[in-house]
Amino acid sequence: MRKAIVTALLLALFAGTAWAQNIRIMGYGGNDPAIVVRLLEEVIGDELEAEGITLTYEPLEGDYNAALFNALSAGTAADLFYIPVETAPGIIATGKVLPLNGLVDVDPFIDSLVEAYTFDGQVYGIAKDFNSLAVVYNKDLFDEAGVAYPDENDTWETFADKLRAVSALDDDVYGACFQPAYDRFGAFALAAGWQPFDADGHTDLLDPAFVEAVEWYASLVQEGAAVLPADIGQGWTGGCLATDQVGVAFEGAWVLGFLRDEAPNLQYGATFMPIGPSGQRGNMLYTVAWGVNADSPNRDAAIRVLEALTSPEAQQWVLEQGLAIPSREALADNPFFDTGTPDAEANRVVFQGASDGNVAPFAFGTVGTAWMNPINDALVAVLSGQASVGDALANAQREMDTLLQR
Amino acid sequence: MRQSRADARAAYLFLLPFLVLLVVFFGYAAVRAVYFSFTDYDMFSRPEWVGLSNYRRLFEDALFLSALRNSVVYAVVVTTTQTFLALVMAAVLNQRIRGIGFFRSAFYMPSITSSVVITLIFLWMFQRRGVINYLIEAFQRYSPVLGAFLLLAVGLQLVQVLIERSRGLPAGWLDPALAVVSLLVAGAGTWLLNGIGVVYPREVPTFDFVWLQTTDAVPAGAPFWLQAPLPLVAIMIQNVFTTVPTFMLMYLAAMQDVPRSQYEAAALDGAGPVQQFFYVTIPALRPVTFLVLTLGTIGTLKMFDQVAVFGNAVPLRSMVTLAYFVYDRMFPGASLPQVGFAAAAALFLAALTLIVVLIQRRFVRSEAV
Repeated sequence: MRKAIVTALLLALFAGTAWAQNIRIMGYGGNDPAIVVRLLEEVIGDELEAEGITLTYEPLEGDYNAALFNALSAGTAADLFYIPVETAPGIIATGKVLPLNGLVDVDPFIDSLVEAYTFDGQVYGIAKDFNSLAVVYNKDLFDEAGVAYPDENDTWETFADKLRAVSALDDDVYGACFQPAYDRFGAFALAAGWQPFDADGHTDLLDPAFVEAVEWYASLVQEGAAVLPADIGQGWTGGCLATDQVGVAFEGAWVLGFLRDEAPNLQYGATFMPIGPSGQRGNMLYTVAWGVNADSPNRDAAIRVLEALTSPEAQQWVLEQGLAIPSREALADNPFFDTGTPDAEANRVVFQGASDGNVAPFAFGTVGTAWMNPINDALVAVLSGQASVGDALANAQREMDTLLQR
Repeated sequence: MRQSRADARAAYLFLLPFLVLLVVFFGYAAVRAVYFSFTDYDMFSRPEWVGLSNYRRLFEDALFLSALRNSVVYAVVVTTTQTFLALVMAAVLNQRIRGIGFFRSAFYMPSITSSVVITLIFLWMFQRRGVINYLIEAFQRYSPVLGAFLLLAVGLQLVQVLIERSRGLPAGWLDPALAVVSLLVAGAGTWLLNGIGVVYPREVPTFDFVWLQTTDAVPAGAPFWLQAPLPLVAIMIQNVFTTVPTFMLMYLAAMQDVPRSQYEAAALDGAGPVQQFFYVTIPALRPVTFLVLTLGTIGTLKMFDQVAVFGNAVPLRSMVTLAYFVYDRMFPGASLPQVGFAAAAALFLAALTLIVVLIQRRFVRSEAV
């Protein structure tokens, strides 16, 4: 009799844990915890709770990568975690990320985003959202200069002419802000037809297409049509736009919230990146995916949560909140994009930018973001007038070769 | 005997909580680090013994060599400068003048401000269009006016002193009452000269010096091991600014402990203030100098936070230090952590620090006796 009671209790206990499965999620700190909590409360929480799944979001403050590697190594990592695209090869090399082939249907997601997380034929992450670059411009400055706004038919030449017209308005007014760093310049190098890696994994910075892009970028700064953000006391091109002295910034949808807060009276518009000498636009994909812990004791529930977090309803909510761009192809014909507000227009441009022209993920193989260092150093040297294009790139190529050999 | 053993037991008991923490978080970690430095451990696969190859690879890595050079140059320059300035400041603040308490507190301010905040402020000051370049440009522009003012002031002072002396009055060259008159008249004179257009600010080009976003090093032609990259110089200036006050406080405390009788005896023997400083104060401060040098060396060799805050604003090679190199290799991002390699670099840094401090101890102590 006593034995039966104990068994019953144990069973009840077991059933209890089986019914209320808690799925832990690790992601960035900052705004992300609040967003996930609201997404849970307003969209997907009830449904998951009905299935007996609860969620805990554990933000990793500071260096996300370092914290995640430690957690994965120590076996304390959450069931689901963020995989930033630029560090994906490292996180996946730990062997602790579950391949999702056959477990999650990847067809509804944008191809280039799925490819960014595909290694050796296995898909390791589902992009939770993404961003690409758009031309965001100050309408008033273009009106004042009497030139047409930048538009989707602009080539580098017509685009540069418009910038020159704006910068001619006054000494401390500039056509655009050019960041001396690959994270913005890369889009222009890609538009020139440059490939970051060739078939053997080499990077050729002396490729004529790359040189042409650097020269174009530098010439606009030298003639005063564009300015470095640091030279007008800003850290990024979005900050430049908020000063009302700069016509154009190259940013993703993340700039919209910033402009709402910092420059609420700014009349802005957004359009596609200009068409480069290759006849194509260039763009980069900035994205973070959900990955499932291969050692998770609640694998099925974790996959269920992943599906809920990337469901059309969840993504529509995230889009309408102005937080990020959905990673599902079907959301391309979204009525939200056609509401006519500058925000919606910018979101549409960023969404379509992901599949227009030469688009590469913001990822650099196993070298990681260090890959950008030689390029950034060269851009700084050239744009600040410390070195010629030829010298700076020859130097950068040498450093790049050492970096890739390591 | 029994009593003292019981005392010792009690002492160990009180030390126990700290000892446990030390053994777990320092001793165990350090032993593991030594072991890992001889392996290819990456946090996810079994460590394989690789002997000394991690250490050998360190010296083949260009970034490590830059880090080593930067750390050593940084430690030497910053430790020397801050020790010297701290001593001078302490000597100045050891005067008995009205309101000295205010100056002591004011000069201590940089040390109680968060190092990250100060680094951010300096990051702004060293921008191409930052305060430092602006001040240099302003100085260049107004140098004719400043020069005229200085010339007038010195000339007036000279004339006044000579007049006083010709009257047989004992006026010193820096007589304060005359100096006030000279400065006021020189100020008015410069204003007048500027007004009638004899002296005016020069037209100078914008002072466009790149402090941070550069791979340049100073002195320009010097061999690699004797150069300091410009961004590192900016960090040096900032670090001296923040640490001098702390060491100044140590010197000040020690100076007030020097017995007055020694100064009196020196004065009786005919020593002036300068001789008293060199032959009484400095020898008496020797133990504090050792402390300041040791703390300075350890603090500068392990410098990390400034590099981390400067981050992407500066080319990595131009400011990487050994401590940052360790972190960089530990978490390279897009590949597995290189624990073995990073541990080897960390142990190298530890050994370097230990050796430098031991040498200092020999050196400073032999003089103290």
